[in-house]
Parts: sequence; structure tokens; C-alpha cells
Amino acid sequence: MTHPQRRRGGGGRGRGLATGGGGSAVRGRGSESGGGIKGGGKVLVAPHRHAGVFIAKSKGDALVTKNLVPGEIIYDEKRIFVQNEDRSTVEYRVWNPHRSKLAAAINIGVDNIWIKPGLKVLYLGASSGYSVSHVSDIVGHEGCVYAVEHSHICGSDLVNMTEKRTNVIPIIEDARHPAKYRMLVGMVDIILCDINQPDQATIIATNASYFLKPGGHFMITISANSIDSKLSAETVYQKEVEKLQMEELKPTEILPLDNCEGDHACVFGGYRLPRKQNS
Amino acid sequence: MSSLRNCVPRPAHKERSQPQARKKFGLREKHKDYVIRAKAYHKKQDTLKILRQKAAFKNPDEFNFKMINSKTERGNHRPKDEVNKYSAEELMIMKTQDIGYVFQKWQSEKNKIDKLTSSLQCTEGQSSRRHVYYAEDREEARELESESRSRSDISARGIPRDIKKKMDRSYRDLEARRSRANNLEKLYADMSMQKELQKKGRKRKLREDEILNPNGKPVYKWRADRKR
Repeated sequence: MTHPQRRRGGGGRGRGLATGGGGSAVRGRGSESGGGIKGGGKVLVAPHRHAGVFIAKSKGDALVTKNLVPGEIIYDEKRIFVQNEDRSTVEYRVWNPHRSKLAAAINIGVDNIWIKPGLKVLYLGASSGYSVSHVSDIVGHEGCVYAVEHSHICGSDLVNMTEKRTNVIPIIEDARHPAKYRMLVGMVDIILCDINQPDQATIIATNASYFLKPGGHFMITISANSIDSKLSAETVYQKEVEKLQMEELKPTEILPLDNCEGDHACVFGGYRLPRKQNS
Repeated sequence: MSSLRNCVPRPAHKERSQPQARKKFGLREKHKDYVIRAKAYHKKQDTLKILRQKAAFKNPDEFNFKMINSKTERGNHRPKDEVNKYSAEELMIMKTQDIGYVFQKWQSEKNKIDKLTSSLQCTEGQSSRRHVYYAEDREEARELESESRSRSDISARGIPRDIKKKMDRSYRDLEARRSRANNLEKLYADMSMQKELQKKGRKRKLREDEILNPNGKPVYKWRADRKR
């Protein structure tokens, strides 16, 4: 006995900027795995404002990305299966904002994450590869993620993860010396930086001068305690932003991440953006 | 001489079953089932009748030696209070077990909350938080202001009702677990505080003006003793 598959047209986007085409939400005969509903549960998966990210609503209410390697999970996140009309299943993985600062920023409602399918991304501070896997899901097979991680323990997890994913390149090196891995990395469109070091502004600046194309974008997570624990969080963010601005990394948006422990903020911005012509 | 009736097949008579409309009440009760039910009921009623008669014909001068120290409260016998039934060590052990149990339940609630929040992320209703945007000049600032007002993600109206009901139920479940974890934490703190108070160690209770964050509970300060 088959249930009718219905495609929800429009998705009720409402007014406002809807980047990307196709506002249709796929409501499939989906199911959640990992201890969730076993088969028969109905899931609604709709594309997010950002390309490549989706929102899944059923028993849970989560950000998901489409799994680049169906059947593989990184640590033990839940997966959502949606059946299309032609009987093929699409697999989505849940993105946990408590583990990944990028997901927390998207959840809070950042304007633009600048990560799109097909772009090249340099990720400094990849750790065990949780956020990297989701970024690689978003950029897809045409894009590429260069994941830089200094520690060897996390590095081995990262390498295990990249064995399955062909669009991630692990680099187990110190991000302070981009000259050491300049042979592996080409020009990238975006730099994501999640290292909690006091000199992270200089780190991202050197990496940007090596690898980031003019007109590219960046994202930094600033942890106020790592930079300077004596000053207040707002002051720390302000100082970091000034340091970035001196290195031609112009911030466009800064978001405090309230749902993470400690004082964290996310700064999004552009690098050597073309000057606006005064019309 | 056997009769011809032995050759004729005699189909067994079947019992009538419960009609479809009453299937939710289970099997249809026949006389034999009624008899079992009635016998059980009457047996109980007979016992109660005998007890009522005994109570009505109670001898007011009855005496038993155990009546000396025990009391009757509202018809229930209360034996003599056992003040020192358990020794102090046994009490400590039982208290530790209680504390351990509460702690275990608290931890399990916290783990469940972590698991739930990984998939219940409140994807709606967040855009109202404060962002800080950077603009080059006044025109860009005005542009950003007008843009930020008209922006919305997947709207809440587009969700079918059954999925919305499931989501709401999950969120309510999460809220209930959160409040339960809170209560367990408070209980655990209270119990461990009581246990610490019963241990040896010189301590004093802080006065009202010495307490930094007054919340109605007494605060104790222990003398700094070097332990082995």
C-alpha cells in the first residue's frame, strides 16, 4: 500500500529575499534513523535560504545537509531519508549547532554564509572534521574543501573521514605557516577559520594573502576567552575586527553566538572587495 | 446395536463471538465466564460482611499487651516508633545510595536532553536577534536597514498539521525534560549539602549580610583543614 507522494509547491516563502530558485519543499514518505522513527514517519524537508542547506521538520526540527556519501556518518548524527516519486531515497544528515559554530550561525539567522555549491573552501582548524563534512556536503562534488588541522589525534579522524569523501583534502600542518602547504592548495573562494588562538587575525591574514582570491569571503569564530580573558567580550570582538580591517579583511556582519557556552562570535566578511562606483 | 446416528456427521456447535462494533471490549462473555466473575465478587463481599460484623460486635474491653506502646490512628494500627532502627553508618550508606540514584537520573536526563537538542534546533524565530552589520558609507547602511526588515526563511505556515503536531510534541517533551533535570539538580544539591553537614568538620553558618547571592537557602563555610 503506497502513500501518495505530494510535492509542496511554493513552500510559503513569504516576502523577502529568496536567493536561489525553486521554493518547493519535498514532503516525502521519509524516516529518521539513529533511534528515531523507524519507517513510516513523515518528514518535510525544505531548502533553506542558503544554497545547499535544508531544514527538516518532523519529530525533530533541524538543519540538514544532503549527504555526499550516502550511508556514511561521521560520529553518530541522525539521518533523514526522503523518498522521491521515482522511488529513490535521498539521504540528509542532521547538522548540530551545538557542535558546529557554522550551524549555530545559520540557525541564528546570518544574512549570507557565502558558501555555495561548487566553491573552493579553505577550512583552518578542522578538528575531527564534523563541520568540514557538512561544508563538503554543501559544496558538492564540483567544489573542494581544504581542511587544515594541526593536532595529530584529530588529524587521524580527519583523514579517516576524507577517505570516503573525495572533495576534502586533509592537511595536517600548522596554519601559521601556509608556505608549508602552499603546494597543496590552490586559490580558494572562502576561508573559514575556527582556531582559538590569540594571533588568529595574523594567521587568517597570511593564509588569505596566499590563497584567498580578491573578492572572496571569510568567516572567523572569535572566542573571547581565548583571545583575552580580562576584557569584556564586546571589546575583544571590536579589537579583533579592527585587526582584520587592517589586513584588508573587511567584515560585513558579526553575530554573537548565544547558544554556545562561553562568549563566542562569528564574523563574516569579504576580502579585497571591489570598490563601489559612485553613480 | 449401534444406531445410524453414529454415521451421520455431527458438526460441533460453535460459540457466538463478539460483534465487530464491540471488538474493543474483548472476548464475548458466556455463562461460564460470568460464573467465575460472580463467584469472585461474592467471595469478596462475604469476607467484607464478616469483617463488618466483627467490627460491629467488637468488645470495647479487649486488651493485648502490644496495645501498651502502639496507637490507632484513624482506624490504622501504628506500631511503636523505631527511633534507632538503623545505625548512623547504615543511614549514611542509605543516604549515599539515594544521592547516587538521584545523580544517575539527573545525568541520564541531561544526556537525553543533549540528544534531543541535536535534532530540535528551533530553526524558526531566530532572526530577531541582534546582528551587527558593517557598512562602508551611509547609503550602504540605509540599504542594509531596508533589507534586514524584509527577510524570512521557511515560514511556519507551510508546514502540514500532522508534522507540526509532532514537532510541538517533541518540543514539549524537551521542555519537560529540561525542567525535570533542573529539579533533579536542585534535589541533588540539597541532599549532598545535608550529607556534608552531617560529616565531621568545623563549619559555621553565614549571616544574611555575608551571603553574596541570597536565594533563601542557608550557606555554610567550612574551616580550612588540611586533609591527609
